[in-house]
Amino acid sequence: MAALIRQKSDSDSDRNEIPPGTLYLLILKTLAVRGRLHGYEIAESIQNCSDDVLQVEEGSLYPALQRMLIKGWVTAEWGVTVGNRRARYYTLTRDGEKQLGIEVSQFERVMGAISRVIQTA
Amino acid sequence: MSLTGEFSRRVSMLLHRGRFRRELDEEMRLHLDLRHEQQIASGLTPKEAHWSAQRRFGNVDRIKERSHMAWGWNWLETFLQDAGYGLRSMLRTRAITMVALTSLALGIGANTAIFSFLDAIMLRSLPVKDPQGLVKLGVEDPGGITDAFANTELYSYPFYRQFQRKNAVFSETAAMYSMMNDVHGFIDDRQEPQLIHVQTVSGTYFSTLGVSAQLGRVLNETDDSSKDDHPVVVISDNFWKRTFGDDPSVLSHKVKLGNVVYDIVGVAPQEFFGTQVGVAPDAWAPLSMSAAIPPGWGGYDKNFTEGLYILGRLKPGVTTEQATANVNLLFPQILRGFPDANLSQWNLTRLSRAHVSIKSMAKGISDLRGDYSKPLMVLMVIVGLVLLIACANIANLLLARSTARARELAVRQALGAPRSRIIRQLLTESLLLALTGGALGIAFAAAADRVLLRMISQGSDTVPLDVSLNLRLLAFTFAVTVGTALLFGTLPALRATRVQLVENLKSGRGASTAAGRSPIAKILVVSQVALSLVLTVTACLFLRTLVNLNDVDTGFNKANVLRLDIDSDITGYKQNDPRLKALFKQIEDRVSALPGVTAASFSAFTFAEGSWDSSIHVPGMPVDHNTNVNHNVIGNGYFATMQIPIIAGRSFTAQDTATSQRVAIISEHVARTLFPAGSPIGHTYDLGSDSNDAAHPLTVIGVAKDVKLHGLTGSANYIDYLPYTQQDWSFGDLEVRYSGDFSSISNEVQQSIHAVDRMLPISNIRTLDAEVADTFTNQTIIAELSAFFGLMAVFLSCIGLYGLMSYLVGRRTGEIGIRMALGASRSEVAWHVLREMGLMVIAGIVIGLPITVSGIRLVRNMLYGLSGTDPLSLMAAVAFLLLAGMAAGYLPARRASTVEPVVALRDE
Repeated sequence: MAALIRQKSDSDSDRNEIPPGTLYLLILKTLAVRGRLHGYEIAESIQNCSDDVLQVEEGSLYPALQRMLIKGWVTAEWGVTVGNRRARYYTLTRDGEKQLGIEVSQFERVMGAISRVIQTA
Repeated sequence: MSLTGEFSRRVSMLLHRGRFRRELDEEMRLHLDLRHEQQIASGLTPKEAHWSAQRRFGNVDRIKERSHMAWGWNWLETFLQDAGYGLRSMLRTRAITMVALTSLALGIGANTAIFSFLDAIMLRSLPVKDPQGLVKLGVEDPGGITDAFANTELYSYPFYRQFQRKNAVFSETAAMYSMMNDVHGFIDDRQEPQLIHVQTVSGTYFSTLGVSAQLGRVLNETDDSSKDDHPVVVISDNFWKRTFGDDPSVLSHKVKLGNVVYDIVGVAPQEFFGTQVGVAPDAWAPLSMSAAIPPGWGGYDKNFTEGLYILGRLKPGVTTEQATANVNLLFPQILRGFPDANLSQWNLTRLSRAHVSIKSMAKGISDLRGDYSKPLMVLMVIVGLVLLIACANIANLLLARSTARARELAVRQALGAPRSRIIRQLLTESLLLALTGGALGIAFAAAADRVLLRMISQGSDTVPLDVSLNLRLLAFTFAVTVGTALLFGTLPALRATRVQLVENLKSGRGASTAAGRSPIAKILVVSQVALSLVLTVTACLFLRTLVNLNDVDTGFNKANVLRLDIDSDITGYKQNDPRLKALFKQIEDRVSALPGVTAASFSAFTFAEGSWDSSIHVPGMPVDHNTNVNHNVIGNGYFATMQIPIIAGRSFTAQDTATSQRVAIISEHVARTLFPAGSPIGHTYDLGSDSNDAAHPLTVIGVAKDVKLHGLTGSANYIDYLPYTQQDWSFGDLEVRYSGDFSSISNEVQQSIHAVDRMLPISNIRTLDAEVADTFTNQTIIAELSAFFGLMAVFLSCIGLYGLMSYLVGRRTGEIGIRMALGASRSEVAWHVLREMGLMVIAGIVIGLPITVSGIRLVRNMLYGLSGTDPLSLMAAVAFLLLAGMAAGYLPARRASTVEPVVALRDE
C-alpha cells in the first residue's frame, strides 16, 4: 500500500479520490489490521494511514459496507464507543479474509501492469 | 461464499426493513456527529464544522438510497408502491373498476372453467407409472360382447391369455371388461342394497399400470388363475371414504355381489380412478369372477365371447410400429388356432381384411373425449374471444381514465419522472386489476365447473371427473391474467404518456386529446362488434341445431313416458326362471293399473342404451352378414307404451307363452329389405349365428313402424322384437306412459314395484324425453354456453359502445351547443349521434361477416339440419346486433339532444 500512497502524492492535489474498485480493498485491509471498527473509525483510519492523501467520500463507506454484509465478508454488531455512544462495529469474517487476499493480488496485478507501462514509456 | 447464505441475508433484510433503516440512520448520524466534534476540536466554528462534516460525508439521502439498493429489493418496493398507488386510483374510480373487474372475472373465469375440462378430458395423463409406455389394442373403444369373428376391438379371455404368452413386444399385458358391472350389492350384514360399479380386470391389470395399493394389496395373477373361486375385490379410495368412512380396518369387511361374498383385499391409491376418464369404478374384481358378478357376462373359457379390451406396456425400445406388426402377426394365428373357430369363407375374408390398430393409453380411454373434444375446443375459442372483447372494453375504460388523468401524468413528467417509470406504474395498475379479476375468475370458475359437470352428467350421477384446481390450471389462469393485463394495459399506458406537456398543463380538457384518442377507441369498439357478430352467429347456429335435434322424429312418442331401471339380478333368479318372468308380469300389471297410467312395459332397450344384435337368416333369402338386426326383448305393453304403431299383423298378447309358437315382430325396414317381397306375416326366420335357434325358428306375427334406436342423427335401425315370455332376459328398463304430474306418478310407480318386491333397487327414474336429450348433451351444452357467451359478448360490446358515445357526447357538448345555437333541432342532434354509432356497428358487422363465414366452416360438422352458412342465423345475428347497438346509443343520443346551448357555450 505504501507504493500507492507515494505515487498518488506525486500529483498536484493534496487530497485524492481513491481509485475506483479499491474501496473494498481499503476497508478489508483496515479491518484486518485494526480489528473491530465502526464506520467513522474506518474512514479515519484510511485517511490517517495514507497520511491524509486518500480522501474517501465518507458516506460512500456505508453502501459498500452494506454490500460487504450481503457478501458475508464482514459482520456487524452494535456496541458502545469511548464517548459512550451506540455504534455499529464491523468485523472481518473468514470469507472476508479470503476476499482480502483476492483483492490484494488483483490490485497488485493491475498496479504492476500500470507500472510496467509507465516505465517503458 | 455460499449463495444460499447471501440469499437468506437478503431475505432477512427484506423482512426487517424498518430496523434496517433506523440502524443505518443512526450509524450515519453518529458519523456526522463525530466528524463535527472533530472539526470543532480542530478550531472551526460550529457552523463551519457542520458544513465541513456534511461536505466530507456526501449527499446523505443519496447514500441512504444507495445502501438500500445494495440489498436488491428496490424493484419490489417500487412495485409495492405502484400497487398501492394503483389500488388507491382503482378505489377512486369505483364504477370503472367494478365494470372492469366484473368483465375480467367472467372472462378469465370462463376461460379457466373451460380449460379445466379441456385439461381433465383431453390433456391429462393417467395417474399411473410411465403412462407414455401404455398402449391399447383397437382404437374405437366400443363397449359390449360380440361373437363376431376377427373383431379387432374386443377380445375373448382365452385370446388374451394366448396373446400374453406369445407376444414379443410387451413387458406386461392386461385385460379389462369393456363394460362396467353396475351391481346392487350388500356391505357386510347391511340390509340396504347399494349400487356398486365393479370393473372386472385381469390379475395383471394393476401391475401393468404400475399402480400399488395404499392399503392392503392390489389384484395379482393368482386371483385370476382359475374360474369362479377367487372372490376378492380392491376398492377405490372414493368408495372406501364414502362407504367405510376411511376405516383402516376395511380389509376385514366383506361385500356381497350376486350370490357370492367377496373379501376386500386392498384400497387403490387416492388419485387412481381406473383407465377410463369420467368413469370411476368403485371396485375392481378379477375376471375369473366375471360369471358370478351380476349380470354375469362370463366368458372366462369361451374362445369367442369377445368383450375385453387388451392393454399392454411396451418393452423398452419397442416402437408402436413394431408392436403393431407383432400384434397383427399373432392376431390371425391365435384366432385360427382355436379348435372351435368357424373358418367359413366369409370369416376368412374378414380375417384377411382385419387390421389391429394400436393406440396410446397415456390419457386413458374416454367416451367423453370423443363427445366433447370438438365442443370444448370451440368453447375455448369462444371464451377466448369473449375475453378479448372484455379486454377491449377495459382498454377503452383505461383510455378514458388516462385522458382524465392526463394532467396528473403531465405534472409528474414535468417534475422529472421518466416515461418508462410512468408506463411501469400504469402497467402495474393494469396488472393489479387483472390479478384481482383473475382471483375472482378462479372463484367463478369453481362454481362454473360444478354447473358444467352437472350438465355433462347423464342421469342422476355426477360424472366422476376431477376438474379441481391444479398447478397446470393455475399456471394457465395466471398466464391468461398477465396476458390480459398486457393486452388491455399497454395501449392506454403508451397513449397516456405520449402527451404534449404544455397542452395538458394548460387545460385538463385539451380538444386535441379527444380527437387523438377516439380513432383507437373507435377501432376497439368496431372490433368488439365484429367479434360479437362471430359469437352471435355461432350461438344462433348451435341453438338452431338444438331445436332441430329436439324436433327429430324418433318414431316413438317420447313425451309423457317415465322410465326407470330396476336391478332384477338382486333376486338371485336365473334369467330363465319362471319366477323372474312372473315378477316382471306382476310389476307390469300393478303399474298399468295405477290411475294416470295408460300402459307400462319392460324392455331390453329403449333409446341409446346399447344393443344386442346379430345377422338373421330368412329362408329363401341370402344371409346378409353386413346387416345386423337389433333385437329388443319386450313386454306385451311395449308398443302401447311407446306408441309405436303396428302397421300389419298383431302385437304380442297373453297367448304368446313360453310353450307356444315362438313369435317375433319386425320393423318395416327389416320387412322391406331382409324379407321376400309381399307380406312378411307368417314367414319364419332365425337369429343368424346362434345354431340353437335354427331348430326353433321365429314366426313373424306383426310389422312395427320404424324407430330410431341408437341416436337421433342416424337413419332408422333394423329392429325385431321378441317377447320376454319366450326370450330370456334380466331386465333393467321399465317404461310407463302416464298423464299428469311426473313426481306423483313416479312415487306411485315405485311403491307398486316395492309392493311386489321390497328389495328391488330402483334407479335412474326420469322421462324418456330426458333420456333422448342425453344423446345430444354435447350439442345442448354448446348451444346453451355459446348463447350465454354470445349474449355476454354483445352486452360487453354495448357497454363499450355506450361508454365511448357518452364520452364523445360529453366532449362535444360545446360543439353540440354551437350546432343548436345555429339552428339544429334536437332530433337532428340525436340523429347525428345515433348515425355515428350505427356506422360503427355496421363497420363491425361488415368486418365480422367474412370472419364469421370462414369460422362457420370450422364448426360445420357439429351442426345438424342446417345448410352451410345458415342465412337465417346470419340475419338474426345482424338484426340483434343493430338493435342492441341502437339501444346502447339511445341514452347518449338523448343526452346530446337535451344539451342547452346557452349552458354548453358558457361552459366552453
